[in-house]
Amino acid sequence: MLEDILSGKKSLFETGVQTVLRGQENRNRMVVILNGNLVTNSRSENSGISARVYKNGIYGFASTAEYSEEAAAKVIEAATNNARYLGKYAASDYTQYDAIANSYLTSPRMIIDIEQKRFVDLCKEVDAYIAKTYPDLLSRRVVYREDSMEKIIVTSDASDGHVAYPRCMLFFTLTKEGKDGNPVEVGDFVGGFGNIDDQCKDMNVIYDKIAEIYKQLQDKAEGVYAEAGVKTVILHPDVAGMIAHEAIGHTVEADLVDGGSVAGPNFGKEVASSLVSIVDFAHTALGETAPLPVYIDDEGVPAKDAVLLENGILKGYMHDRESAKRYGVEPTGNARGYSFNDEPLIRMRNTAVLPGKDKLEDMIASIDDGYYLIATGNGQADLTGEFMFGINMGYEIKNGKLGKAILDTTVSGVAFDMLKTVDMVSDTVKWMGVGTCGKKQAMAVSMGGPAIKCKINIGGR
Amino acid sequence: MGNLHEISDIAIEYLKSKDGIKGDIHVYECETHEITMKDGKFTLFRTMFDENIRTKVIKDHKKGTGSINKFTKEAVIKVIDDAITSADAGEADVCFDIAPGFGEETYEMGVLEPDIDKLIERTKELAETITKRFKKIKLMELYTKYIRSTGVYINTNGSKEEKSCGYYQVVVEFAGNDGENSTGIAGSYAVFDSLDKELIEVGNIEKDLINTENSLNPITLKDKFDGDIILTPDCAVQLLSFLLSVGVGERNIIDKTSVWYDKIGQQVASPLLTLGANTWDDRIIDHETHTDDGFKSEDSTIIGKGVLKSYLLSLYGANKTGFERALNTSMAAVVEPGDTAYDDMIKSVKKGLIVGAVSCGIPSSNGEISGVAKNSFYVENGEVKSAVIETMISANLFDMFKNIKAISKEQLCNGTMVMPAIQISGVTISGK
Repeated sequence: MLEDILSGKKSLFETGVQTVLRGQENRNRMVVILNGNLVTNSRSENSGISARVYKNGIYGFASTAEYSEEAAAKVIEAATNNARYLGKYAASDYTQYDAIANSYLTSPRMIIDIEQKRFVDLCKEVDAYIAKTYPDLLSRRVVYREDSMEKIIVTSDASDGHVAYPRCMLFFTLTKEGKDGNPVEVGDFVGGFGNIDDQCKDMNVIYDKIAEIYKQLQDKAEGVYAEAGVKTVILHPDVAGMIAHEAIGHTVEADLVDGGSVAGPNFGKEVASSLVSIVDFAHTALGETAPLPVYIDDEGVPAKDAVLLENGILKGYMHDRESAKRYGVEPTGNARGYSFNDEPLIRMRNTAVLPGKDKLEDMIASIDDGYYLIATGNGQADLTGEFMFGINMGYEIKNGKLGKAILDTTVSGVAFDMLKTVDMVSDTVKWMGVGTCGKKQAMAVSMGGPAIKCKINIGGR
Repeated sequence: MGNLHEISDIAIEYLKSKDGIKGDIHVYECETHEITMKDGKFTLFRTMFDENIRTKVIKDHKKGTGSINKFTKEAVIKVIDDAITSADAGEADVCFDIAPGFGEETYEMGVLEPDIDKLIERTKELAETITKRFKKIKLMELYTKYIRSTGVYINTNGSKEEKSCGYYQVVVEFAGNDGENSTGIAGSYAVFDSLDKELIEVGNIEKDLINTENSLNPITLKDKFDGDIILTPDCAVQLLSFLLSVGVGERNIIDKTSVWYDKIGQQVASPLLTLGANTWDDRIIDHETHTDDGFKSEDSTIIGKGVLKSYLLSLYGANKTGFERALNTSMAAVVEPGDTAYDDMIKSVKKGLIVGAVSCGIPSSNGEISGVAKNSFYVENGEVKSAVIETMISANLFDMFKNIKAISKEQLCNGTMVMPAIQISGVTISGK
């Protein structure tokens, strides 16, 4: 656990200059077993101190890997000098952002260091189980990963805090020969907030999930290409969560709104079906602790929920202190940096579509000819709201029933157009708590949603 | 460098003090100066100092790795002990190994003394040039950086290498915007070692800005057809990286799921395609000097005139499969130019697309890929008609690179790759 050597350094902050001092440690643990061979077995630790100052409309930032009181003093001075240095080249339209009442916020739990052998043994056990239970596989891959971070935040004019984000995940990927001789692949994971004892305790949960994806793999081995074109589909909660993050979430980050995102001119307008509401939750979602609880951001702002879409109306953006000042709203605590030497950017936390009232089986029964899209590996979207997601697992829906599995494909569309076609939303939200967003820096995020029925453009051959 | 030597010496001596262990130590420090402009104004100046010790140990044929960004004796001992503990927990595999010793080597490359004032001036100049010349471009963010790293690599077989490297980097993020309509985000990126010329002339920045201005008011294609696509250099390197990952990447070769498994020496792509990982090419700024396993890096041909020449295997992968290891691990992609002028490629397209990027998932082992064509233009009867939106392309990567029709004479060099445009036939293009 990081020792708080930073709180006493406030006296070094330049008077009247908005300053944040941050101490941070990132811990990564990785074990990979490929077909029984342990090919990766690594541990890494990355820590240091950064200071950011806001002076005359310019941010100065400095960081060092050294974690000491002397290093803290050096980075405060260097960051202040950087702001002054760049100020020579910049015209100033400087306004300080509003001060925030000081408080001290902490996470309910910190990171526990666990011996590597536990991770290796877990992966070996899971790998051996897969090899024994499913001998007809071409390939199997088991990955355990932890990417945890801990931060101490000390500010000149906002809240201070000491928070941690322990996170772990166990992935398994199975490969089988398809009917045309080419390999087909399906993967899934267990994991989320906490450590191996929280997320991987019950082997039956893991084995049930593997059984589920093996069944999907068998179906996919006999799969067909999806028919290209605009189709009626049901998006599994995992896919709906990806829509919430990629296709809507990024367009309503205030820095990207400033960049010209489609959300700018649509503020206050109806951009989706009235069945669609989307919230970026801070630490508590739908009555429970969110999968990635954020209590304070890296600017010292106590985190609060950001309501993005409410009953189809675009209601709000996610902000850092500077953008909140510009837009005349309260900051939402979305400014986070991945590593000690990263400047905080506006990032999502727990972004989800809110549940509706429909039952999944009724939604499937309502479709004569369409698809049920179950798993997505990744997705991208841009300022126009045009998005794409890779679909790794899905089924045809024929006459209200699930049909053949489909081979890998891609879906695309324009978010606000697509969300206007939503006419059913299931009543159960499922979270995916181990996401990593790639906006300039990597960042831990979670996303979730219910199943939603909509029309979407599906790629095919 | 003094502290690096001290730390690396402490590390290697500690490693050697452990019986029956072989391994390596990489100690390096890095200094970065980064300037950010948003919306044409300077907003942020960052200076970052980082340091890192990375080690790999092999004990009783078991491997463990560790890293920590601290230069203290305690940190050195901790990271090596952690790696040994990891190895103890692992499985024995006789295929784990490190390279034989290569003696002592010293490299210096790039710009070791930066001119930050000049970099700031060039940054400001670029922003002003974009504002002045590209009226329909909204410059979202502009980053320029100077990065200098110095490091020592040392292993228990007698290798010791010192390397110092410095370079500049520019990243421009922008969108077309005419006050009413906006394009998606576009970007341009280059690594360079001189501030002698304006940044607008570096990499592909100028062309990328022109293409984005021309991307306003895109059309939606209504039909689905098989046609030609011309991959811009940026898109070509994107799809080639996917191809290499699924075709010659270590994972797919070890587990034998690659479509190109056991096809070394066979024709797998068009004879027009020669692809190298040429780390020592003069146009690449930061040359990889040794592989992750500790071999001196050499240029490598992966595909020569369409014939598969090598896999991207580490020493472990090579020992595991019996194939040759890769001669470098840099992925400094260099594709040989063709004999067709880029404009003539466009003239030869009856119906198709110029594709600037593909927004898609990472393809599975079978190479099937479908994605949204981004920064792309519809071409009909040899003329560029309009930018497109909501247009997808679908194909199989392995088939695509068999169906190359032409490779451009012109190449894009952005300091990390050297890439021409590539024209491919028979790709499924579908509108909304």
